[in-house]
Amino acid sequence: MIALRLKAPEKILEALEGHEKIVLFGDSGCAQLCDVGGLLQLEDMEDFLTRNGKTVLGAVFVEGGICNGPVFRSTVQEQRAVIDSADALLVQACGVAVQTIVEHIPEKEAFPAADSMFLGVSRGRGTHSELCAMCGDCILHLTGGICPLARCAKGILNGPCGGSMNGKCERDEDTDCAWQLIYDRLRALGKLDNIRKVWEMKDWRSSHGPRVISHHGGAIA
Amino acid sequence: MSSIAASHLICDVGAEPILQLSTRDRNRILLESELYGAHALGIRNVLFVTGDHTLLGTHPHAKMVYDLDSIQALQLASELMHGRDLAGKELDGTPSFYLGSTFNPYADPMELHAWRVEKKRDAGAQFFQTQAVYDVGRFRDFMAQIRGLGVYVLAGIYVLRGPKTARFMDERVPGIYIPEEIIERLEKAGEGLSGKEARARRREEGIAIALETTREVMRVPGVHGIDLMGTGWEPHITRFIESASGQQEG
Repeated sequence: MIALRLKAPEKILEALEGHEKIVLFGDSGCAQLCDVGGLLQLEDMEDFLTRNGKTVLGAVFVEGGICNGPVFRSTVQEQRAVIDSADALLVQACGVAVQTIVEHIPEKEAFPAADSMFLGVSRGRGTHSELCAMCGDCILHLTGGICPLARCAKGILNGPCGGSMNGKCERDEDTDCAWQLIYDRLRALGKLDNIRKVWEMKDWRSSHGPRVISHHGGAIA
Repeated sequence: MSSIAASHLICDVGAEPILQLSTRDRNRILLESELYGAHALGIRNVLFVTGDHTLLGTHPHAKMVYDLDSIQALQLASELMHGRDLAGKELDGTPSFYLGSTFNPYADPMELHAWRVEKKRDAGAQFFQTQAVYDVGRFRDFMAQIRGLGVYVLAGIYVLRGPKTARFMDERVPGIYIPEEIIERLEKAGEGLSGKEARARRREEGIAIALETTREVMRVPGVHGIDLMGTGWEPHITRFIESASGQQEG
């Protein structure tokens, strides 16, 4: 999922300056799973904005995710009246959600209430860890299912660097050295040869945005 | 200062520099460009490092590059030495470099770090400078793992100024390991003395430790010399060299 973090309250108020009638957006996907745009957080935001002199006209909660086009469009359709009365939309979801809303409802200004942090997974309530860098050229089959691009602080392909000590990253002692994890895993799998050879320079072309994928004709026959 | 500029100034005074290039701050295009520039200035020794994480340095807000790692940078330099750039274009003339890199005998996992030395050798590195050595036992173990690779090794010697610096380096500088007994030895050296005298005595002890370590590492098979390091306390380098020369004569 996309790991999200709610912006600081003052940042949200700053973005909404000059806008009084607000409609909130959240969803039951990443937004809810990251505690930034679930039903509870939409209520919290309404309370917070009301305390700060704003009028919250309502909340649009998209079951599944704002990125699910058909569900998003039908939810917006159902709540069209309240959206039309708003002078700003506050999106408690990812950057994709904000932009989807901007494209679909261009007559309104939409603002992010959260920062999109990374692609990762929840490891216990309230924490998320980054796992994928979306480089566009997956190498997990060679690294025992552990991504050095996302999980090594330097994203290097012939790691570890000289700062790897006691299984930890030089950047901070709470972060595991991805290369130690890869080494341990490949050793257990009997595939250490995968990292004995020099890994060639990466072709970064598939990682440069903006990227568009055409799914037509890409299926396995 | 830019390592190329510093290397050039060193050439100007008649000494032979080792140009150090980090892949943290340069993509492959800039590395090629810098290597052409270095060659044009008569700089021949080039050492590649991955570079410390920016969050630990003075500019934590900076974006890191890491288009390549140090091993791939060695491959890049080797490619140029074969008369081609990375685009496959033939160069007008073939630059020649003496390539090197680094290793840290204290980094984990040791086996993988020893393989990295081999990878670096295969990518073109002929000499290595190591992370500062304080625990000679572990250094010896590491050297045993890379025996037979046919590379030149300069063991890192960093002269400690006192127990506070030592503790700071052990805890905060990436890849540095300083055994507790070294820190205690520096601490004890100044015991019972006033501030200024304690400091001077501890500095002498730091130099004594460096001299002892140098003697020990030079006996480790596969070691060809030392890389004497100093930051912010350059006079100790002269003191160290004077003492080391005195010992050799004696």
